[in-house]
Amino acid sequence: MQLQFLILIVLAVTATIFSIVASVAMIVRKALELGRSRAYERLYRIYSARVAEFLLIELAPNTDDPRPSTVFRQYEELIAPTKKHLEEMNRSRRRFHRDVLRAVLIDMTQDISGDSAERLVYFFYSLEFVEEELRMLQSGKWWVRAQAARNAGLMRARKSITALTAALEDDHPDVRHQAMQALIKLVGVDALGTILRLSRNISRWTAIELSVIVAGFKEEAVPHLTGALESRDQSVVLFSIEMLAEIGFVRAVDPLMNLIRTTGDFKIRAQATKALGRLGDSRAMKLLTELLSHRSPEIRLSALEALGKTGGPDVVDSLEPYLASDDWEERLTAARALAATGLKGIKILQDSEKQEKGEARDLAAQVLEEYGLEPAHG
Amino acid sequence: MDKSWLEAAVQFLTSGYLLFVVIYFIGVSLTYTILLVISVREILSQLRHDKFCDFRLTVQSELTPPVSILAPAFNEGPTIIQSVRSLLKLSYGKYETVVINDGSKDDTLAQMIEYFKMYRSKHVYRPIIHTKAVRAIYKSRLPEYRSLVVVDKENGGKADALNVGINAARYDFVCCIDADSILEDDALQKVMRAFLEDDKVVAVGGIVRIANGCDVVNGRVVRVGLSDRLVPIFQVVEYFRAFLSGRMSWQALNGLLIISGAFGLFKRDAVIKVGGYKHDSIGEDMELVMRLHRIHLEKNERYRVTFVPDPVCWTEAPDTLRVLSRQRNRWHRGLLDTMLIHRKMFLNRRYGVVGMAAMPYFVFVELLGPAFEFFGYVSMGIMIATGTLNEELSLLFFIVALFYGVMFSVGAVLLEEISFQRYPKPGDLALLLSFGVLENFGYRQLTAWWRVKAFWDYFRGKKSWGKMERKGFSKPAP
Repeated sequence: MQLQFLILIVLAVTATIFSIVASVAMIVRKALELGRSRAYERLYRIYSARVAEFLLIELAPNTDDPRPSTVFRQYEELIAPTKKHLEEMNRSRRRFHRDVLRAVLIDMTQDISGDSAERLVYFFYSLEFVEEELRMLQSGKWWVRAQAARNAGLMRARKSITALTAALEDDHPDVRHQAMQALIKLVGVDALGTILRLSRNISRWTAIELSVIVAGFKEEAVPHLTGALESRDQSVVLFSIEMLAEIGFVRAVDPLMNLIRTTGDFKIRAQATKALGRLGDSRAMKLLTELLSHRSPEIRLSALEALGKTGGPDVVDSLEPYLASDDWEERLTAARALAATGLKGIKILQDSEKQEKGEARDLAAQVLEEYGLEPAHG
Repeated sequence: MDKSWLEAAVQFLTSGYLLFVVIYFIGVSLTYTILLVISVREILSQLRHDKFCDFRLTVQSELTPPVSILAPAFNEGPTIIQSVRSLLKLSYGKYETVVINDGSKDDTLAQMIEYFKMYRSKHVYRPIIHTKAVRAIYKSRLPEYRSLVVVDKENGGKADALNVGINAARYDFVCCIDADSILEDDALQKVMRAFLEDDKVVAVGGIVRIANGCDVVNGRVVRVGLSDRLVPIFQVVEYFRAFLSGRMSWQALNGLLIISGAFGLFKRDAVIKVGGYKHDSIGEDMELVMRLHRIHLEKNERYRVTFVPDPVCWTEAPDTLRVLSRQRNRWHRGLLDTMLIHRKMFLNRRYGVVGMAAMPYFVFVELLGPAFEFFGYVSMGIMIATGTLNEELSLLFFIVALFYGVMFSVGAVLLEEISFQRYPKPGDLALLLSFGVLENFGYRQLTAWWRVKAFWDYFRGKKSWGKMERKGFSKPAP
């Protein structure tokens, strides 16, 4: 028994020491952090003012010698005092100052364009921040690589394009994602083709983050997206289909129809079918009507939904039989599609509400209410 | 002769029990230590990951999946309007709020109809999961409340109400919350990310924090602070231990057995496939998660049940010992009930981490721990009465046990401090650390007694929830 208690005492002493050390360490850390953050804020203000000054200084026009190197010499003269000041510091102080300066410069890139933006890019190179980020892109820690990829994009450091392209195939999704965003910042819409070609297993989350950027390119993105429909990766194809539907450019109709005819992947086919509905082009009507009799319930539902969005009165006859389908989802989707086709479809639903009984009547009433076609009674 | 025989027997039993307690204690301490280490690793990884996520994009993107928020309400008259209004203002893409009036006897329904200008909708209710009868579905005439649906049903309890919500939900993801919970603006975005990053995820729990002592304005927590009453502060430390240390580590092993009923997001299909919430269960939230594990493992389907520590749901905790005792009693009966329902999984290799690690932990540590502790005190009493107590050893053991209790409570507070730092005042941090110590002197023993009593109540057949008295914490905007 005594031995057991001896073990317990040792464990308890360890636990106590751990608690005390951890608590003290935390309190010290908090105090240090507080001091550090105050120093950071103070330095941030100083460097912000200094960088703003650099950006606002009017440089003498170089009409005699318009080569970029002349302009760079002028930029270098601007930054030289700061560089000298940094070099005079000891290592840890210099590191802290450089961190603050990098943050100031990166924050400024968000709101600045034109000549000032070019100056900022020069500063990043001249202060060797770009070289630092390129080294960090090779780090063994994924979060360091991801941060470096993000910074390289924000610094608009074109020198990092090769490293960022390689990072598109990084093992960690956050690094891949930051590399995608950085490349888009650096190259613009033309980076999309490379990104989609090299991407694998795009998670839904990455797709959402990427979608906002891609949607911003509008029809410029369409050629890259239609090209990606040939990707072997299902996630890339699905993403491209969704984006083509969202951008809503008619040039996407033929590639999507072609994809539906050729792919054996039901998920892709269903997604492309829905996309055709969202594009609302009458060229797709025949194909969509054919898909109503597909053996996959998912594709049938997609076709019903798409026809509702695409078709007018012409598709009513094709949709109506599905009001009697064995599957509830099909009945509901067909009813909604009929309501969307216009007066003829609505009339069928109104008749159904009056003449049918039970679920068929309730379903028609629900859909009419959804479309605001039935006065709401309290 | 007789007396010495009795003494020997008592000595043998108490020594045996003491030996058992020592072994048990070492086992529990090691387990806690491992779980704490895993949690620290997981939380740090999560924090690093969060740095690279722009959650606002989920609001902007068309690709963000819509969510149905399900909020069961029973006699929530005093707070229902404020609660629903706060649910309608979340920052997320497309979502609907489905309030299920579970046969309230007060004016919960009438208030909603009046305030949100609701009409009786013709929306078809399909009982995919069997539930008590639905009386009517209401929708708002006002465009700003178009995403609100109120389902009025016969009283059937929280599980039945949630099943009605699942049936009535339009979207593929359902977020089950308590009607009086306060979700932070971005809570849905953060909890949804887990599904979007890994399509095998079927359920995600978010952290629940205690709102007592916080300033709440118009259904939003605007200042985080601690209550001026003792009972809620003890619970803050307990919640840190349960959520940050316990759930974080179990999710890393895919052995998370509980997603709080106050805030959980599920794939609707997955819940329907396993039959929804079990309406006659006491701990319906835990039971559903256990069933999700069980059925997926039996079908050899790849899945994950996970927990994200940042999306916050604030809840009002009991602030009196009387109400707290009822809550803890019910939680413990729920745990016991769930473990008995799924006893087949216990130490069964077929159920992997859940059967071989998570369930044994929940049975031996969470469920039986209070009983072992309580009987430890009883046996000490017997030893004192019979004069067989080895005072030196008992005192030593007592001190060691307290040190460990303190270490894990303080550890959980530290975990919060290195990660989310929601309590900005140094004074609050000091108070929490001291409560991590203080809870071991009386509060822990009291909760152990409530939980031991839960065994008695359970086997007596007590199924009731026990009344939770809520005062409401919302203030209108100044």
